[in-house]
Amino acid sequence: MSSTRRRPATLRRVILTVAAALILFIWAFPVLWAVVVSLKSESEVLAYPPSVIFEPTLRNFRDALTGNLSIASSLMTSIILATATTVLTIILAVPAAYAFARLRLPARQGLGFYTLVTQMIPPVGLVIPYYLILNRVGLLDTYTGMITVYLTFSLPFAIWLMVSYLEDIPREMEEAAYLDKASRLQALWHVILPQIRGGIGVTTVFVFLNAWNEFLFAVQLGGNRIRPVTVAMHNFVSIEQTLWAKLAAAALVAMLPVIVIGILAQRQIVKGLTVGAVKGGGRR
Amino acid sequence: MSKVHVNPIGRRTVLKGAASAAALLAAPAVLTRRARAEATIGGDIDWKQASGTRITVGVIPAGYFQNLEAVLPQFREISGVDVTLEATPPGQIRQKAILDLSSKTGKWATSATDPMYYPLYVANGWIDPLTDFLDKPELTDKAWFDYDDLLENWRGAASIDGVPYGIPYEGEATIQIYRSDVYEKLGLSPAETLDDYAANAAKVNDPANRLWGAALRGFKGAGQNMYIYPSIFLAFGGKWFDGDKVVVNGPEAAAALDWYVSLLKSTSPEGVENWNWPDIADAFSQGTLGSYIDTHNSAALLADPSKSKVVGKVGFARWPKGPAGRRVTSIWNWSFPINASVSDKEKAAAWLFIQWAGSKEVQAATSYGFEGGYKRLGVNRTSLWESAEYKGLLDGIGAGLTQTTMDSIKEDTDVDWRPRVPQWAALGEVVATAVQSALVGQATPAAALDAAQGQVDGIMKQ
Amino acid sequence: MSSGRAHADRRALAAGERRFAILLVAPALLVLLATTTVPIAFLIWNSFQTINLAMPFLDGFAGLANYRQMSGDPAFWHSLQLTAIYTGSTVVMQLVIGLGLALLVLQIPRGQWLFRIFAILPIVLAPVVVGLFWRTLMFAPNFGMIDFATRALGLGTVNWLGSPTPALVSVIVIHTWQWTPFAFLVLLASLASLPEDLYEAARLDRASAWRRFIHITLPLLRPAIVIVIIMRAMTALSAFAAIYAATGGGPGTATEILNLYAYRISFTQLDFGYGSALAVALLVLTLAVSGFLFRIRTAGSGP
Repeated sequence: MSSTRRRPATLRRVILTVAAALILFIWAFPVLWAVVVSLKSESEVLAYPPSVIFEPTLRNFRDALTGNLSIASSLMTSIILATATTVLTIILAVPAAYAFARLRLPARQGLGFYTLVTQMIPPVGLVIPYYLILNRVGLLDTYTGMITVYLTFSLPFAIWLMVSYLEDIPREMEEAAYLDKASRLQALWHVILPQIRGGIGVTTVFVFLNAWNEFLFAVQLGGNRIRPVTVAMHNFVSIEQTLWAKLAAAALVAMLPVIVIGILAQRQIVKGLTVGAVKGGGRR
Repeated sequence: MSKVHVNPIGRRTVLKGAASAAALLAAPAVLTRRARAEATIGGDIDWKQASGTRITVGVIPAGYFQNLEAVLPQFREISGVDVTLEATPPGQIRQKAILDLSSKTGKWATSATDPMYYPLYVANGWIDPLTDFLDKPELTDKAWFDYDDLLENWRGAASIDGVPYGIPYEGEATIQIYRSDVYEKLGLSPAETLDDYAANAAKVNDPANRLWGAALRGFKGAGQNMYIYPSIFLAFGGKWFDGDKVVVNGPEAAAALDWYVSLLKSTSPEGVENWNWPDIADAFSQGTLGSYIDTHNSAALLADPSKSKVVGKVGFARWPKGPAGRRVTSIWNWSFPINASVSDKEKAAAWLFIQWAGSKEVQAATSYGFEGGYKRLGVNRTSLWESAEYKGLLDGIGAGLTQTTMDSIKEDTDVDWRPRVPQWAALGEVVATAVQSALVGQATPAAALDAAQGQVDGIMKQ
Repeated sequence: MSSGRAHADRRALAAGERRFAILLVAPALLVLLATTTVPIAFLIWNSFQTINLAMPFLDGFAGLANYRQMSGDPAFWHSLQLTAIYTGSTVVMQLVIGLGLALLVLQIPRGQWLFRIFAILPIVLAPVVVGLFWRTLMFAPNFGMIDFATRALGLGTVNWLGSPTPALVSVIVIHTWQWTPFAFLVLLASLASLPEDLYEAARLDRASAWRRFIHITLPLLRPAIVIVIIMRAMTALSAFAAIYAATGGGPGTATEILNLYAYRISFTQLDFGYGSALAVALLVLTLAVSGFLFRIRTAGSGP
């Protein structure tokens, strides 16, 4: 009897697995197709019906990373930009979020509302003000200027996200720490931080991702020094033609750092995601 | 040649080889000594007068500017000017230039400029008249630079009321491009009139076998459907102005739009409503289009076997005539103006750069004289278009390309192809939206244009 | 006595806590204050000005003229309507598909991590590449993969981006494709953390799977769902790059949501004054929507 019951259960799981795998395959298909395209020659990309059998070439990756159209230096720029933005954001956002979520903070509602508003300003409306201000202080096309601008959207986002993690921690834990005569800072450091490692992991990934994929500010406020991959990608969409295979290769290369960060943070995220509700988000 | 000897292939250069090794390394490997040797520069002026000045030049990431970048070390050496090209995506370069100019930041001493923006720039006083530079013997060797040798219509497009504001660097001619093998098989000859063009397209059209008759740019916007529609409008006898008033909805306009819509609806692949030039060139290079009307520059792609499946099967002809008996091609080129808000020293440096880039020698060195794989086709001078080397380059791509493009540039280009008013950016967008609305059937051509006229009046009245 | 001292102690403690809180918040708020106050003020100020680069002679204080123009501008109302459709449908689809997928994957005993990695791929792809790839390699009739699929399935060909309604559907599909994984990941994690004993009790009650879902799972998921809705709505309201690359707001104005319209007015038509007013309108809209959603979010007490 027990075996007859188990068999349908197993069968059901197999079917579910296959169904889920199929859906996710379809979901990931455009990216998988980009992989195929990146291995083709330019004249093969638009063949119809789409060709699956062809002689694969790594030339597109070589062209994406070396030569006239190379995005290699832009990759470096993007890594510096996104990393600096992420580190600064986390350092500033976690204590602030802690205060918002757990402490008696004067004018909490008002200040919280304010951080939200800053997150919602349409970037389209900010390009001109930022341009004029950065120009005034001589920070156009500099890392400092660019990171400052990125902080304006990553900081509220991160604060807001971290608050929802911090709210999930049982209050007794801190109180126990106070009874131990630990200072508030120590309590934050030794008791709270370990609890929200996962939340920090998720926040890190999404802050990094948002900075990595930003385009509008990068193109208008950057220049020769600050030319992140999102801008350099346009080398392949030049005015004469679209170099599909090279664009695909460049796009895939540009995905790698984020995926690496994602995998590094994976363990943290699994924990983070399983603490209570939530979380994460993204801009555009 | 020059007072201060600037010939870069002189002994001096060879001796200074070590010093310029860094510059050479920075340049692509294609920059061999011979390529540099061909880029001799004349000009009886003091090329070093702005030495030590730093300037940045806005360009787009395109092959013709990459070629310029490759020979740029020569300019750095003869002038001592520290010039950098800053590549900005084509979709954003105009906004970036406008941000720079309007806020008087002075980031770009000069930048690649669309002719459409000269009325706007000049109305705002953002750029300097080039007479200040052209007429000064210490800044310009007139006989050598030979301003009048620049293609007349391109010059005109970068001038306002006869005053030059920009020097064209690169440009194109709009021509009819067709599948010679298909036309031959069907006994067709390239269209002389727009009616012929539609008739040819109908005969070629065979969607079941993945061959469509024709395609024109359908995506909306400046340089998209507004690259094509104004030509048809003018060929139908349309006029942009009624006195001072901009008119976009006359009967000629409706007829022109009608022709455009019915051509694309009946003989273009579905989706053409959303196509821009790379899409069309992609489709043609895949062998799925009988014909299109677009830039002669795209011919180079069609001759490239790594991208094209129709190598050797391409023919060229001029824009067909419209009912009004005119062939009217678009004017498209990138030219360099001088930013009014940079220092005099930077202006001088920018002018030296512009003069250098527009000179016969550098134009040749970045075109048929270029040693890399891509030799740009859009040189800016009559003398070059008529030179044997350049003709050889074009004819190597396809028979008849030389004659077609030359006729097109000389005979068919109309400087007033679009109304040259500062508001054109806004007006053009309105018309572009109307043209696309009609194409996708949101409104009839006449109704779409009437609605556009209302918006045009609103913009002009403000 | 002792209670009085305890009271004083507590007050001192509270005061200390406040000081500490201010100390923690100050750096972040100062950065935000320094970097966003001036730009917001500038944006709002501009929205009361006439700043048209094409007609500089008209520049000057405009009062409410830009807002009056907006109220009578059919293109604005049209874009607002599109924004509502775009935001509403993408958020609902992301939520439904994301939740469905999460419920499905949760039943899979092994290899969930693989699904998580696969799922994140669309989010990681740069938005402009997303737009271009979908535009040509997926949606284009006669060339794209979707066209190939619909033909192979005998559904014929659809001119996805070349006709108004399918174009709107297409950009909604693209956005949903790109961001559903986010909803999926968040909801998967939340589902995984739901207390198992509740289900056990319900199972003993012989409640049907559907009833268990409606009466137990959904209420427990509520905070997570509301957060997903808020974040997705905010992203959808400010969507730009992918639509811009795929359709440019066309054909005609069929996919020109408010954000793109504000961009067109500011940067193509060079009317910075009116463009600023449109950006302010978008800001107000975003505020209103998220304010409303926050009220629903009963659980949270955060900012």
